[in-house]
Amino acid sequence: MANKAVREAVPAKAQPKLSTLVRVCAAAWVVPGLGHLLLGRKWRALILFATIVAMFLMGIAMRGEFFSTSSGSYLQTLGYFGELCVGVAMPAARFFGYAGGDPLFVSADYGTACLVAAGMLNVLAILDVYDVAMGRKP
Amino acid sequence: MAIPHLPAMLLFSFLVSVVFGVLSKDTPRDRLLYGGKVFVAFVGIAVLLGWIMYPAP
Repeated sequence: MANKAVREAVPAKAQPKLSTLVRVCAAAWVVPGLGHLLLGRKWRALILFATIVAMFLMGIAMRGEFFSTSSGSYLQTLGYFGELCVGVAMPAARFFGYAGGDPLFVSADYGTACLVAAGMLNVLAILDVYDVAMGRKP
Repeated sequence: MAIPHLPAMLLFSFLVSVVFGVLSKDTPRDRLLYGGKVFVAFVGIAVLLGWIMYPAP
C-alpha cells in the first residue's frame, strides 16, 4: 500500500521513443559529441568532440594503421571495427588521401593505438548518450 | 610526425582522462578530480613500469 502511494506520488519518467534513441545514438557514432548536442548537452558535446577528434588526429599524425577485414586475422578485424567506431572520421581520412599508415614509421604503433582508442572512447560516448536519453544520467 | 614517447604518452593520458572525467561524473568538481586522478594514475603507472623494465635488455 505504501509502495502504491509512493508510485502515485512520483510521476513515471517518460520513456523516449525507440526512433529517438536510435537517432541520437547513430548521431553520436557518426560524429563524436553530436548525440550529446542533440540532447542539449552542449559543453559535454564540445569536450567529447574535441578530445576524440584530437585523439584520432594524433593517430593520423603518427601514421597509425587502418585495419581491414580482408586480412583474415581476427585481431585485424577487431581493430577495423574499433577504428570504425569513431564514425565518419575514418572514411573522411581516406577521402582526403590518408592511405592507411606506414608500418615502418617510428611511431606507427602508437598512432594505431590512438586510432583504436579514439573509437573506443566514442563507444563510451555513445553509451553515455543512451543513458542520458533514457533519463538515467543528468 | 614523430612524437617522442613521453609527450605522446602524456597527450594520450590527458585525452583519455578528460573523456573519463566527463563521462563518469556529474559535477564539474567531481569531473576535475576524477580526471586528475586518472591522469596521475596513467602517468605514474607508466613511469613505474618503465623503471621496473629498465634493467631488461
